[in-house]
Amino acid sequence: MIKEILINITGRKGAVPFPEGFMISSEEAAQIVSLKEKIDSVFGRSLRIRQVDAGSCNACEWECTALTNPVYDIQRFGIDFVASPRHADVLLVTGPVSRQMELALKKTYIATPEPRLVVACGDCAIDGGIYRGSYAVTNGVAGVIPVDCYIPGCPPTPTALLKGLFDLLDKMIHR
Amino acid sequence: MTENEIYLELGKDEFRDRFISLAKSGNFILRLMFAMDDRASDGSFKVYAVFSERGRDIFHIPFMRLEGENPRYRSITPDVPAVHWYEREIRDMFGLAPEGHPDLRRLIFHEAFPSGSYPLRKDWSITDADLKEWGEGTAIKEPYQFMKVEGEGVYEIPVGPVHAGIIEPGHFRFSAVGETIFFLEARLFYTHKGTEKHFERIGFSEGVKLAERVSGTSSFSHSSAYCMAVERMSGIEIPEHAKAARTLLLELERLYNHIGDIGNMCAGTGLTVGYAKGAVVKERLMQLNERLTGSRYLRGINTIGGVKKDVFLQRDDILATVETVTGEYREFMKLLLGTVSHVERLQNAGILSKDIAMKLGATGITARASGIDDDMRKAHPHLVYDSLDFDVCTMLQGDVYARMMVRAGEAECSMSMIDSLLERTFEGGLSAELKDIPAFSSALGYTETPRGSVFYWVKSDKDGKPLRVKLRSPSFCNWPVVPIAVHGNIVPDFPLCNKSFNLSYSGCDM
Repeated sequence: MIKEILINITGRKGAVPFPEGFMISSEEAAQIVSLKEKIDSVFGRSLRIRQVDAGSCNACEWECTALTNPVYDIQRFGIDFVASPRHADVLLVTGPVSRQMELALKKTYIATPEPRLVVACGDCAIDGGIYRGSYAVTNGVAGVIPVDCYIPGCPPTPTALLKGLFDLLDKMIHR
Repeated sequence: MTENEIYLELGKDEFRDRFISLAKSGNFILRLMFAMDDRASDGSFKVYAVFSERGRDIFHIPFMRLEGENPRYRSITPDVPAVHWYEREIRDMFGLAPEGHPDLRRLIFHEAFPSGSYPLRKDWSITDADLKEWGEGTAIKEPYQFMKVEGEGVYEIPVGPVHAGIIEPGHFRFSAVGETIFFLEARLFYTHKGTEKHFERIGFSEGVKLAERVSGTSSFSHSSAYCMAVERMSGIEIPEHAKAARTLLLELERLYNHIGDIGNMCAGTGLTVGYAKGAVVKERLMQLNERLTGSRYLRGINTIGGVKKDVFLQRDDILATVETVTGEYREFMKLLLGTVSHVERLQNAGILSKDIAMKLGATGITARASGIDDDMRKAHPHLVYDSLDFDVCTMLQGDVYARMMVRAGEAECSMSMIDSLLERTFEGGLSAELKDIPAFSSALGYTETPRGSVFYWVKSDKDGKPLRVKLRSPSFCNWPVVPIAVHGNIVPDFPLCNKSFNLSYSGCDM
């Protein structure tokens, strides 16, 4: 851990220390830390995410939960998961969108105030993944609501999720 | 390979009598009931029931034929309540009507699914227009009536399917009197993905990937049970080394789940420190999983015939991580058990009596915390479990505290099993040679997931392709007991009770 702190301190950008086991290079760490600056400028220091399970196997949900543990500690970037879509800036949708969740997902999208962003998280959410072609799924989020950003992985690791959110904000700034 | 499965064909009435006498004798445990469409070969539907004999590694599998286009049979639910969901599932999927079933509402499909449409029938198809209406959810094709509780001061709280926190979707309707839950109706199956039908489409070898994605945190247990079923069906005996590797990974999966679950219960009582500590210990194990298999959820390592990678090569890493985890976990448990405000909330909350657990066929932690001594690792020893020394952990109280303590006991067992597996060496390679899958053969595959027993039953068609893949996840057995366990608790304790069962929605909804 001390080594990582040292790398962070001597790195090009000042970075908050990443705890042991973060399994991320110092370059990437600097990139992720700059996420905070982006959130500060675009969203006024806070980015609120509502996670919507649209038929996922629950692995993606657990990776989102892992983001809030002391190792990844997503709150330090000003990001948090909220209970109501009405409090959210971002909808993070997982799962291939089962037919029986389609209506609920659309309603959740409508309930989210604008400007809103939609992230399709995980292989199922991108194109149905392994479930593609089953009668009970719609083969991905994009067929149901407009998607701004995709995060691949089955499930995406917490680090991949962080990087995905970083890309999303990058896109926002350059829009 | 399937010596422990005894099939017995019976007439409709004898099947019923046999079913009831086995279920009521006390020496047999109902594991699952399922149907298949065999009209192509003999013009009938078949209904199977699988019972375990207590104390012997034997499955008794009586089955009956039902002929005709829309067959009916006398419901067994009034005599054996544990089959209530199985009968409704079979009706939704095959259109076999259980006459006299007390609750004939649809279980799996919601209002907008076309009526008279049964997806697991071989000749089933659905139009694009019907699919569109199903997704829009606006066309009510078969109404669903929620149970209504009436009386002075009774009010309803509807929750979900998109509800608080990072959680899977389900709809809960509480009928409360003041703060007390008088009645809870859980409406699930929002995440129904047509998994069983999808297994038939994608073939046996791709099926491993699908089995891994039935329930995220039981990925390895599901794929092990599925591979076991296919291996038994094709007569493949996997090498001792592969068996040991699967056992090791099953126990690592159990360990991260149990520790994570104990930590999550702290979120239900507002003990943030406990929640954070549990999450850190779990994270260590998840990162170990990633180092071992490349996946934090132990995916992609199981294959039909064995495993793809020798995890025993990373013996030192596993030993060191498990040692650190053991220390941290014991400290963590000491903290929890020393926190009176936490323990008091757990005790006497969400009590499930042994009687109800037996009647409704609960499994796993849920059953063991209510005094039912049943663990697939002991009841039907598979892999290398018969050479390992461990006890089945049970408690009698059936409350949230008991479910936590059973998890704690099992976590200790898992840690010692991992240690003793790593001390030994096992013969053989990583996988056995694959054989062609014989036509019209079938077999059971099973194991104990962190939540309870999981079963796969597979049958091949004339070309050795899947004719039927039945999957029964532990959550399917345990969901019906949750509304009963929370009766009389206060609404704010529901999240705590729910977390103590920690059931998978996706595994149940399939």
